Amino acid sequence: MIEVKNITKSTKEGRQILKGISFKAKKGDFIGILGPSGAGKTLTMRCLNGLTKPTTGEILITIDNQVHDIAKNKGKELRQMRQKIGVVFQGFNLVKRLSVLENVMIGKLGQINQFRSLFKGFNNEEAQKAYEALEKVKIEKLAKRKVASLSGGEMQRVAIARAIFQEPVILLADEPIANLDPTNAKKIMKRLKPLSEEMPVIGVFHQPEIASKYCNRIIALKDGTVVYDGNSDISEDLLMDIYGDELQEIENQALVSAPLA
Amino acid sequence: MSMLVCNVSLGALSKGIVDGIAFLGEMFPPDFSALPDMIYPAVETIMISFLATFFGALLSFFFALAGASNISPMWLKSISRFFMATERALPEIIIILLLVAALGLGPFPGVIALAIGCIGMLGRLFSDAIEEVNAKTIESVQSAGATKIQVIQYVIIPEILPSLISNTLFRFEVNTRLSVLLGAVGAGGIGYEIFYSFQLLEYERATTAILVVLLLVFMSERVSDYFRKKILSNTKLK
Repeated sequence: MIEVKNITKSTKEGRQILKGISFKAKKGDFIGILGPSGAGKTLTMRCLNGLTKPTTGEILITIDNQVHDIAKNKGKELRQMRQKIGVVFQGFNLVKRLSVLENVMIGKLGQINQFRSLFKGFNNEEAQKAYEALEKVKIEKLAKRKVASLSGGEMQRVAIARAIFQEPVILLADEPIANLDPTNAKKIMKRLKPLSEEMPVIGVFHQPEIASKYCNRIIALKDGTVVYDGNSDISEDLLMDIYGDELQEIENQALVSAPLA
Repeated sequence: MSMLVCNVSLGALSKGIVDGIAFLGEMFPPDFSALPDMIYPAVETIMISFLATFFGALLSFFFALAGASNISPMWLKSISRFFMATERALPEIIIILLLVAALGLGPFPGVIALAIGCIGMLGRLFSDAIEEVNAKTIESVQSAGATKIQVIQYVIIPEILPSLISNTLFRFEVNTRLSVLLGAVGAGGIGYEIFYSFQLLEYERATTAILVVLLLVFMSERVSDYFRKKILSNTKLK
């Protein structure tokens, strides 16, 4: 469970980018965050996993029945919280020269003792669990391959497996399908959806039609505020409202990908 | 002007050439009976080079970590980079002479001198390789709660391994050549053999030693080429 309470974020020059964003997410939610460029989508995501500190506001995350505020935590506490937040990035961000399985196991580095990771590495039980995480995204056959030899879609699935292996209480996905072709984008969405039965899944998406098809809730941002928060049945008028002039461009892209998506 | 400063004189040159040819005559034929005496110094040279490369690469790696802007704080980076640049600016022979003065003669000061000599070049190359590691990959591993040491172990080292290996092997070749030079100032090895033979005016023996040096340098290049190819082909994309 995650509760975002009225977060704001200003630049050093004092320009306010996030102007008070609030929402709650619980198990079962697969939230798609939409919005034109510059609306503050990625910045919101960075705040949610503590990569950026909001200027004001609270981000309450429930871990083991205890409520923590990631906006306040630093150092060790922040590291401990992050272990419980799975993140999938647009650029996959995997270690290219390690194997698929090793990349998945990296997800748990924060949860094992520093001394052990330095001298012993992971044990068999952990390797087994990492393998199971790969099975969940149906990519276990590639476990021994070097990541550098995979395609973009496969890499993103490895990244999801890494996030699953962390056993997070929440999964964040920052434009997870932006670098993928429509077929692979669809596959990734299909893998993300069932995960929302175990934890809230929050993703930033560029393609409203894909988001409304797979997500069960849409949050739309515009100029740093929430302009829509509701079911994924979004109307053309609403899209026009959110995106304005950008809508035409987005729909053109959608046309290209429509036959496959 | 420069001709005056350097005392250039055609007369001296022509006389020098004649003397030089006569001297070359004295160096031939090589005295191969001295070959068995060369084996131990040759092995010593290789060992000095090997140990120096090993410790030098290790030292360089730590300096490189300290000198890479993506994982090291600004002040530490500046200190490390300054040290590496200074070391690079000093010719090896000066470091060797300083260390011989400080630690005395023998192979051990030689190893230390050559190991320190690695830092300027290897440290810089490693450091640049570390800075090329994708910052987002580092960030993503940190966002899973990993510590800095874990980031170094699981992201930095695997990503820069090819650069670590191929540059270290190259440095091994350089160190083999340098350890010959080192011998001439008293750190033992085959270099000392050449120096010693010249002093005894046994030029034919010196020729043999020079041939052994050539052989060593060629061999070290072949060996390092072999390993480079072997290791790098393993890390290539499949």
